Amino acid sequence: MTVLVFLSACVAAAAQEISLTVDAPETVAAGERFRIVYTINSTDGQFTPPKFDPSFTVQGPQQSTSRSAQWINGDFQSVSTTTLIYYVVAGTPGTFAIPSARFESKKTTVSSPEKQITVTAGGTSQAATGQTQGQGRTSGDAPASGSDVSMKLLLGSREVWAGQPVSATLKLYTRVNLSGLQELKYPDFKGFLREDIETPPLRSLETEVIEGVQYGTGVIQRFVLYPQISGEISIDPVEMTVLLQERTGARDPFFDDPFFDNFFSSVSTVPRRIATQPATIRVRPLPEARPADFHGAVGSFSLESSISSGEAKLNDAVTMTVTLKGTGNLNLAGEPGINFPQGLEKYDPKVTVRGGGTASGTKSFEYLLIPRNTGTFVIPPVSYSVFDPEQGKYVTLRAGGFTVSVTGTPGQQESPAPVYIPGEDVRYLGQDIRFIRNGNGRLKTVSSPLIASLHYWLWFALALFLAAAVLLLRREQIRRNADIAGLRRRKAAKNARSRLAKANTMLRSGKNEQVNAEVARALWGYLGDKLRIPRSEITREKCTGLLRERRINEDLITELERILTATEYSQYAPVSEGESPAALCKRAATLIGRLDDLLD
Amino acid sequence: MQRILIITILFMAGLTGLAGQTPEERYSQAGELYSSGDYSGAAAIYRKLWDEGFRSEDLLYNTGNAFFKAGDNASAILFYERAKLLAPADEDIDYNLQIARSRITDRFETVPQLFFVRWFDFVSLLASTNFWAVSALLMFIASLALGLVFLTKSRARGRLLSFWLSIAFLTISLVMISLAVRGNSLVNNNRKAVITCSIVTGRSAPGETGNELFVLHSGTTVTIEQELGAYMEVRLPDGNKGWVSSPCMEKI
Repeated sequence: MTVLVFLSACVAAAAQEISLTVDAPETVAAGERFRIVYTINSTDGQFTPPKFDPSFTVQGPQQSTSRSAQWINGDFQSVSTTTLIYYVVAGTPGTFAIPSARFESKKTTVSSPEKQITVTAGGTSQAATGQTQGQGRTSGDAPASGSDVSMKLLLGSREVWAGQPVSATLKLYTRVNLSGLQELKYPDFKGFLREDIETPPLRSLETEVIEGVQYGTGVIQRFVLYPQISGEISIDPVEMTVLLQERTGARDPFFDDPFFDNFFSSVSTVPRRIATQPATIRVRPLPEARPADFHGAVGSFSLESSISSGEAKLNDAVTMTVTLKGTGNLNLAGEPGINFPQGLEKYDPKVTVRGGGTASGTKSFEYLLIPRNTGTFVIPPVSYSVFDPEQGKYVTLRAGGFTVSVTGTPGQQESPAPVYIPGEDVRYLGQDIRFIRNGNGRLKTVSSPLIASLHYWLWFALALFLAAAVLLLRREQIRRNADIAGLRRRKAAKNARSRLAKANTMLRSGKNEQVNAEVARALWGYLGDKLRIPRSEITREKCTGLLRERRINEDLITELERILTATEYSQYAPVSEGESPAALCKRAATLIGRLDDLLD
Repeated sequence: MQRILIITILFMAGLTGLAGQTPEERYSQAGELYSSGDYSGAAAIYRKLWDEGFRSEDLLYNTGNAFFKAGDNASAILFYERAKLLAPADEDIDYNLQIARSRITDRFETVPQLFFVRWFDFVSLLASTNFWAVSALLMFIASLALGLVFLTKSRARGRLLSFWLSIAFLTISLVMISLAVRGNSLVNNNRKAVITCSIVTGRSAPGETGNELFVLHSGTTVTIEQELGAYMEVRLPDGNKGWVSSPCMEKI
């Protein structure tokens, strides 16, 4: 090895001419890191770097030397190379000159050619080429120029209504050769529903000039985003690994030819992570007061309806199709609410979507209806509200209804096992409160409750007082009545005796006719008082009856009857024929005396 | 704009029309509004009739319906409960109240009342308080009259019968008085209230300082235990108690 170095030092120095080349990009973006590479085919000498513009931030140089020796056709050749790499970031846009660099060896001094570098404005350059600076470079390998490869998510619109589809295109921009794309990783698109559009695989790049720089571009994937929530929704970067074809090793100064270039310098594949810039979409919420027949469709649509036949046989299917046509979120448009008449059995519709998203498409709802009763059924017109983002309001679409007349006899139903169904259960369709009551309402104003008032309770007191008064009066009356009767009873014997005494006086004065009458009066009076019989009601039967009731001896009753008969008889017959009035009088006195003992 | 103008004109016409209308006309006008779908308008008229002191089960029932349709469930429950006090046996009121209750937020395991309390309350509400009061008075008078018969007619054959009848009438009279008192306390001194705020916090003490115990939503029926300032202590259907701000509830 030492020998080889020695040889090269003495041989090559004589044989070779020293050259200094510079390699720098012609156009860079402000803020972008790029390389300026100086290559010298010599190893011993002094390199003087150029004076870079003050707006440039320069790092480096990274210096590397290589030597090689070979025999070609008996000639010994030795090549030694020094490579100096400066990493430069241009600060301001404009055109800058990079002055010559010098290399001084022992024998000669060489200069590099001057270079012009156009620095484009950072913003536009980034918009066109995307941003890849700052992405972590794999350590060790020499970094490729920063904005050579980038990826961008192009959005159709940055401000949309909720549900309004947004077209998105993931596009690749490159200025270097790529050998492949790997690990395309989408973020989770929080708040969106993503629908991929079929995109042909990226095979060849198209050429596109952006800001005077030529890029190879290609669409990686197209898709549609449907915002599901409202507000400022950010989209996280889409990440991907690109495989860069990077030339390593020195460029041969003699064979400056692409073929040899590729041939001699080895090409390695370097993976690099690239990502899109995060984006934000402003999603406006749909206005409140949504129509009842709004089922989430946002876009500009038209509605059509059709039916397979207006006439049908019992139990033969009829198909009604409602088609929503236009641009918008067809996939998310819900089923229209159609109130099919009872008797037409409805099945869940068959839903077919063609196209849609940001392009025009159709969505059809195919209802299978089976008439279960005969008659004419009216399917009401379909009303379907959609939100039109262009007008910014809800639009109600209408499509015609249909009339289906169903014929046939229920008996002809072709069922494998005919079952007798006695009737049909009442179908309850919904629940609601019962209706109000009309009429005069029987309105009354509030009356204060009686029990809360004093006079109500006074009525009770009054009733009680009245009752007590009535009771007292009645008692008093009874007592008084009882006194009158008692007096008469107590004085009955006395009265009778005084009458008999009067009769005796008459007897002595010879008024015989009147004696009997007086005796009768004494007896009747006594009986009436004692037995409490009013004068007008007194009869012999009543008296005897009452006496018997009181268990009076039958002898006494017979005696009483006799005396009474005698007195009556003597009144109408001559005195001589009957008993003497004196005896009668005496008998009556004895009877009264005995009765008085027995009667209380 | 045009729509607002029309509504304003209608409203003004309604106002001027209201001035000269009898309560019955306003009642039927509200019924027409209800039928045509203007539930809030109907509810406003019904509510005004209630505020003016008109009462009838039909009025309260319709008010409840109008509030329900207008989306105010708490007021609907309040008026159904009030209607139920006037007509406890009305099946329509029960049905609608049940539907309105099924749409409120709070669910409780309710402790059922003792069956005889429930029956007694039911009977006391079957007739108005004044009916019971007047009947009780009449029964009392009848009882007194029979008592007089018993006390004075010493030898009458129906003496024993009149005694027992008098006792029976007196008992009936006492029962009717207690029914009247109970009915009055149910209708006029009701301790129940319905929460009208959409959400309200029950605390352990009146004021904002008490610990938060529970959260009630509109439409829940509670029992008022006591009042202190702008707060009421309420008992929930499940038996728990807490202090709730008074403006957030309306007594039945």
